[in-house]
Amino acid sequence: MGPVIEARGLTHAYPDGTTAIQDVTVSIDEGERVAVIGANGSGKSTLQLALGGLVEPTAGTVRYFDETTDAEAVRDRLGVLLQDPDDYLFNTTVREDLEYGPAQLGMSREAATQRVAHVAAELGLDALLDRPPFRLSGGEKQRAAVASVLAFEPDVLLLDEPFGAVDAHYRDRILKLVTDHEGTVVLFTPSLDVVADVADRVIVVGPDGSIAADGSVRDVLTDSTLLQANGLRPPATVTLFEGILDADDVPLTVSDARAYLLDELG
Amino acid sequence: MTGVVGRSVESITGALRTVFTAEQVASADGLLQRRDPRVAVCSVAGLALAVMITRTIAVTLCFGAVTVILARLSAVPLRRLLARSLAVPLVSAVIVLPQVVVLPGDTLVRAFGLSVTVDGVAYVVLFTLRVGVGVALLSLIVMTTPFSAVVAAMRELHVPVALVWVIAVTYRYLFLFFDELQRLVLARNSRTTGRSSLRGGWRDAKRLVGTFLLRTLDRGERVGRAMQARGGARPPSPYSRSRTVDRGDYALVALAVIAVVGSGVVRWGL
Repeated sequence: MGPVIEARGLTHAYPDGTTAIQDVTVSIDEGERVAVIGANGSGKSTLQLALGGLVEPTAGTVRYFDETTDAEAVRDRLGVLLQDPDDYLFNTTVREDLEYGPAQLGMSREAATQRVAHVAAELGLDALLDRPPFRLSGGEKQRAAVASVLAFEPDVLLLDEPFGAVDAHYRDRILKLVTDHEGTVVLFTPSLDVVADVADRVIVVGPDGSIAADGSVRDVLTDSTLLQANGLRPPATVTLFEGILDADDVPLTVSDARAYLLDELG
Repeated sequence: MTGVVGRSVESITGALRTVFTAEQVASADGLLQRRDPRVAVCSVAGLALAVMITRTIAVTLCFGAVTVILARLSAVPLRRLLARSLAVPLVSAVIVLPQVVVLPGDTLVRAFGLSVTVDGVAYVVLFTLRVGVGVALLSLIVMTTPFSAVVAAMRELHVPVALVWVIAVTYRYLFLFFDELQRLVLARNSRTTGRSSLRGGWRDAKRLVGTFLLRTLDRGERVGRAMQARGGARPPSPYSRSRTVDRGDYALVALAVIAVVGSGVVRWGL
């Protein structure tokens, strides 16, 4: 399986001179589950925009599906969820917002209707479809924004903090939709507790916007020194079992920790 | 931001944002809601064109009456239609107001050494009425038809893509404009105590305008990216809601044609 996204020497500086990301070279293969982690302000969101073809990098290139550097040519295959759900909700009703992507990207109306109904049901939006988006709560907006990206069934999901404002119930629902996604998933998050549930590879963005580490979930999440050097804190389960178990045995998720404890307690 | 200015900004933005949604009206069962979107767009645009052609106060008032009747038959509350349509003619009136003393004609009133002429007053009244009725008609179509259906109808009618694009983006950004302003006012109010004077309110309002412009610019860019991420760089192409044209549709088209021809005849003769 070839790379679906391949970035080389990617650098982006904003007009005020702030360099958000620098010299990022990264390749993401088809079907991979990748978490991009980093402290606030490290450049994760800018990296997501650059990988999604939504900002013009100051230097470097991004190649998609090993065939083009033009993101617009493959827009229907890239599902980019930006950080603020309000940015996605600009139509008069939630239904129109959910149909916006499928309509713009050429999905048939029948397929779009089915798909919108499916994601709306999965994310508890059925009753909200005919409401104006600005009347939704923060969590509802987040769910609607996630649904608006999943609605056009992209091959690659580039999600920036999709669990931001949602409650535990819908966090699990979004998590399930993301893990069930058959294509590639790239999750950008400062919260390490969900990383092991979603990803099998982790990229750490350092405070200077460069790639500080790129490795397996276990290697990265159990390396407290690396995480702390980059303004991050290991997941709660790692903190709990660090020094008690070997790094190879430390549970990375709450369910793994629970299973371990139940096993140990007989 | 408290005081008269703050409260005014807060109430105006809240009201406008609500007025611009009109989601209940669009889903109501009324005359225009039952029409094919292409027919509704063409007919109402035709009526608006007829209003623009006319140069007679009486004919303009007739079109005003037609607008009110259409609104009533489409379950559009007149207060909401007025709230939505009033701002533009009021601004227009202010712009053309100097014409009351600039246009030559019989003097109606003399004040401060200036003569207010009959022709000047008639011009301002006619201009404001025409703008008001025209805007009310266009508001009617947006209030009775889901906006994506209006955009889809314009595409099906082969309206130039660039024009559809401008209309679609402008309409969407109107929501964001009011949304951003209301957020800003709420954020400031939540960190402001006590009552400020009118002067203090104006001072706060000036600061608010600067921040608001920067924030809308930033929000505009972010929303632009969110559109682009879902194919927004391509021409607007919402799903069509067209259906088979029926007798009611033909009747509405006939009304629009008669209005345009009638307006032309009244203005230019046969």
